[in-house]
Amino acid sequence: MAFLEIDRLVKRFGATEVLKGIDLSVEEGGFLVLVGPSGCGKSTLLSMIAGLDTISDGEVRINGRRVNELHPSQRDIAMVFQSYALYPNMTVAENIAFGLEMRGVPKAEREVAVAKVAETLQMGHLLKRKPSQLSGGQRQRVAMGRALVRDPQVFLFDEPLSNLDAKLRVDMRTEIKRLHQRMGTTIVYVTHDQIEAMTLATKIAVLKDGVLQQFGTPAEVYNNPVNVFVADFMGSPSMNIMPAAIRSENGKTVVALARKDEDDLVLDPGPASERLGGSIGQTVLFGIRPEAITDHDGADRNARTLVDVDCHVDVVEPAGSDTFVVTSLGGKHVIARMRSDAAVKSGGRAPFSFNMDKAVFFDPKTEKRVA
Amino acid sequence: MSAAVSARPAGASTMNRIVIYGLLAIFAVIYLIPLFVMLVTSFKTMDEIQNGNMLALPQSPTVAPWVRAWGETCVGLTCAGIKGYFWNSIKMVVPAVAISTLLGALNGYVLTKWRFKGHKLVFGLMLFACFIPFQSVLLPMATILGQFGQFGKFLYNSTGLTFGFGNPTVNLVFVHVVYGLGFTTLFFRNYYEAFPTELVKAAMVDGASFFQIFRRVLLPNSLPIIVVTVIYQFTNIWNDFLFASAYAGSGDVMPMTVALNNVVNTSTGVVEYNVNMAAAMIAALPTLLVYILAGRYFVRGLMAGAVKG
Repeated sequence: MAFLEIDRLVKRFGATEVLKGIDLSVEEGGFLVLVGPSGCGKSTLLSMIAGLDTISDGEVRINGRRVNELHPSQRDIAMVFQSYALYPNMTVAENIAFGLEMRGVPKAEREVAVAKVAETLQMGHLLKRKPSQLSGGQRQRVAMGRALVRDPQVFLFDEPLSNLDAKLRVDMRTEIKRLHQRMGTTIVYVTHDQIEAMTLATKIAVLKDGVLQQFGTPAEVYNNPVNVFVADFMGSPSMNIMPAAIRSENGKTVVALARKDEDDLVLDPGPASERLGGSIGQTVLFGIRPEAITDHDGADRNARTLVDVDCHVDVVEPAGSDTFVVTSLGGKHVIARMRSDAAVKSGGRAPFSFNMDKAVFFDPKTEKRVA
Repeated sequence: MSAAVSARPAGASTMNRIVIYGLLAIFAVIYLIPLFVMLVTSFKTMDEIQNGNMLALPQSPTVAPWVRAWGETCVGLTCAGIKGYFWNSIKMVVPAVAISTLLGALNGYVLTKWRFKGHKLVFGLMLFACFIPFQSVLLPMATILGQFGQFGKFLYNSTGLTFGFGNPTVNLVFVHVVYGLGFTTLFFRNYYEAFPTELVKAAMVDGASFFQIFRRVLLPNSLPIIVVTVIYQFTNIWNDFLFASAYAGSGDVMPMTVALNNVVNTSTGVVEYNVNMAAAMIAALPTLLVYILAGRYFVRGLMAGAVKG
């Protein structure tokens, strides 16, 4: 049995359902990330786990115990808020100790606990300050300290890094991951940033419009998206998705991509061949990640189906570590991720290596995965 | 050419400034003259008042009128100064301000952070209280206070104590609390509307109860709006004459405003303008003091409440 179980959870505001039956579970010590565009219901879901929003239907269980009717303070959870929600009138030490104080922990014990947390987060020198005297990163630390000090069963994070600048965000991300590895506490984390989701999670739940799209490990969600939405949402730059015709040539199933002023680009679909058999003569959506289209020498050595083709180069975007090369296939811009020293020029032609092991195919109507 | 172009707006703006500041100065003088006359008159002797110019500075300043106003002047038939009535007002205004401010804060807290169905209607009705004219509640309130008096008598007969029921000062505190609630609720609701709800949620997760959140999180962060409310309530209640004269208009229980009126209306011999002015100044001092001490927060608090809601 999982540690945190969310069972057919529904949230209604009047007649509108904002969460439509969510099923999720996390093992003890797991790191569940709820990710999705704004308005998908991820923060509402977190609030319901915390007890700050009522549950319309379904059940939340923590360690086997139904917590639907419990007050937030009795659920043995701690929460880090997006705005940090530090009490402005209290010092850092008082902020951290407040939860313990409310639970009637004696002063001496509180001081020990605060000192311990301050040491863990390396903020002993901040304890006497007021929140207004702290920088964004320091406030973030205090907010985490306030959650850590109670040693709860589940940590809830509501977009904790979204108010930080880009560099600090990356640092704090690593810090949270390190903290999780050391403490081994179960975490539920809400974000709209798919990179945060990928780097932190042991399990990712992708939500859209109150419906759970996919629930799996970061690798599963990234490599085997169940529909176009998940494929497009996860990954940066996002997956190339373009219409493609499935044909049969000499008894083999092939993928044909329309090109401007040129013959169709014909690709061997690799491991997906068999499952594409039923789609022969039809148009499907062909998805392939930028890093699966490379220059020949930069291709994955373990790839079994590598197709080299010459294509017209529309745009070249050097990014330092890589060079993004844009071409047009099936009427869409397609981004390839080549090595930074790949010799490509915009306006010319260049060899592109397609790693078809990584190709995915979706039904154009239902947008569900077909192969 | 370009110099001429740039010089013209500069000259115009100087002209504008002179007009603006000139007008402001004129209105300030008009506004301050009565205060000036009161002040200088209160330090003059009667001779000087009768023979001199109203606007002239006192020739031989004396504090005798102030001493007389405080301790000796006649209010109605008793001649023991206004000091007793000054304390009456203090005894009324302090509890009334404290209670109405606290209840307003509590209302604001509930109406923003613990919303219930119909919270808008309740707030609307409380706002309505701000627009009820004083006069229209005089009689109904007199009936209620009469009932309180009856109840006080009943308590006295059965226990030997009235518990404050029927006491005119307590009555006035009650009236001002009820009447002030609309305003204090309005102030605090608008302030708490902009108060981050995440703080309340964090306190809930931390295990704080309804009143603990109020006392430990909301109130310590409400100083600006508390100051605004206290100034507003203090000024209104201290200066109130209608309720004071209606429900405590005679005897030893009169508040300052009623007593001042009686000082001026007492017609024994010459009208002591200097004593009257000194008494009026004494009556105005507490509100003046509150403004000077807390005025800085007053503007800041009004702004804070105005941003949202």
